[in-house]
Amino acid sequence: MVRLTIPVVKVLSALLTAPDEPRYGLDLMRLTGLPSGTLYPVLHRLRAAGWLAADWEDVDPVAAGRPARRYYRLTGDGIRAARLALAELRVPAPGQRPRAGDVGPAGAPAW
Amino acid sequence: MVTRRLAALLLRTAVRRWPAASRAELGREWAAELHELARSGRRWAMLRFAASLAASRAVTSPVDRVVPRGRLWRTAGVLLLAPPAGLAALVLAATTMNLTDEWLAFRLSRATAVQLPVWAGGTALLGVLLAVAVVRCARRTVRVPALPTALGVVLPIAATAAVVLGLSAGRGERGVAATVPGVLLWLALLVPAVWAAGALARRGRTRTAWLVGVLGALVAADAAVALTVVAAIPATAPAVADLPPDAVDRVSAPLWLFTCWTDSSFGLPRPTAWERFLITDRVVVEPMFYLACTPYAVAYAVAAARPPRAPAPGPQPVAAPV
Repeated sequence: MVRLTIPVVKVLSALLTAPDEPRYGLDLMRLTGLPSGTLYPVLHRLRAAGWLAADWEDVDPVAAGRPARRYYRLTGDGIRAARLALAELRVPAPGQRPRAGDVGPAGAPAW
Repeated sequence: MVTRRLAALLLRTAVRRWPAASRAELGREWAAELHELARSGRRWAMLRFAASLAASRAVTSPVDRVVPRGRLWRTAGVLLLAPPAGLAALVLAATTMNLTDEWLAFRLSRATAVQLPVWAGGTALLGVLLAVAVVRCARRTVRVPALPTALGVVLPIAATAAVVLGLSAGRGERGVAATVPGVLLWLALLVPAVWAAGALARRGRTRTAWLVGVLGALVAADAAVALTVVAAIPATAPAVADLPPDAVDRVSAPLWLFTCWTDSSFGLPRPTAWERFLITDRVVVEPMFYLACTPYAVAYAVAAARPPRAPAPGPQPVAAPV
């Protein structure tokens, strides 16, 4: 289970904006506003929990003129768990609009 | 160019703070990000990126980060109870010394000569037994870096010493204030000794860790005794009547700790018998306290630094039938 800190929530929210779109580190730093020293430990924890998958970019460094990047994307389990966790925290997950008749999460917010 | 080299240096530092299994991939990933920043000419961003990673908290494996509540309580219990237990060892050894002295008084002409060796021997023995018990408990305590471990060991000793000195001062015992600088020096020097022992044990150099820890603790105790004696007894003083002067020559200062433990000059001309009397009259309980606490302090630092035992391998997964 991932402990939901504010940086974790920011990373999950950023990834949930487009769950199928892979993101690299600088991209996530820009989206979340987190410094690298905070972001990478969060990514490490999410990967260890199985919420996140990381893949190397399939690119020829010589042809591209740059080294290959590592891209992160939420796994299927990660998407479900992140949506659930954010809903429980009453943080509206980007891309998820409340439907008519939806009942809010029970219990007090975690912060 | 300089910025990029500095950033690369910071990244090399940062990558060492991660679990060994992740280092190669993270180094490659961060180098790619750094390349991206360099390509767009964002020098400060490069430095910020690398410095933030280098300054962030060391990352341990997720398994290590989960600290069961019971383990926290056990750690606190071990570290808080060990100093009073050391004190109890000292008192028990002193009681043994008194009983031995009474028994020997009618059987040995110089029974007083064995008082301090008996006290020190008993304290050392009980101190070692305490260390064995602490090491057993340390197998199930929280594992933290070497410096917090050293502080976690030494601060409860300091608290125990403060309580004892406070109670002694409250009872109006003489010379309590003069004891404080020596005890403080001992505590201050014990921290680096225990820290170094823990750091070396972490690198797998257990034998060196023991050596450095024990020698460092001896130096700390020796310096503390020397400070107390130097502050209380002058180096020279006029002789009164036929008695030797109430002074202690500084030349034998490194031996004073061992003199307090053994009441001996080890065959050397200094300290003289009179100097030994002056030294042990002024400082005798503190060296025993140092002796009671040193074994477990070093032992805990070394034991707590050992890697946790690998879990027993579970059954191998069996392929599902096709």
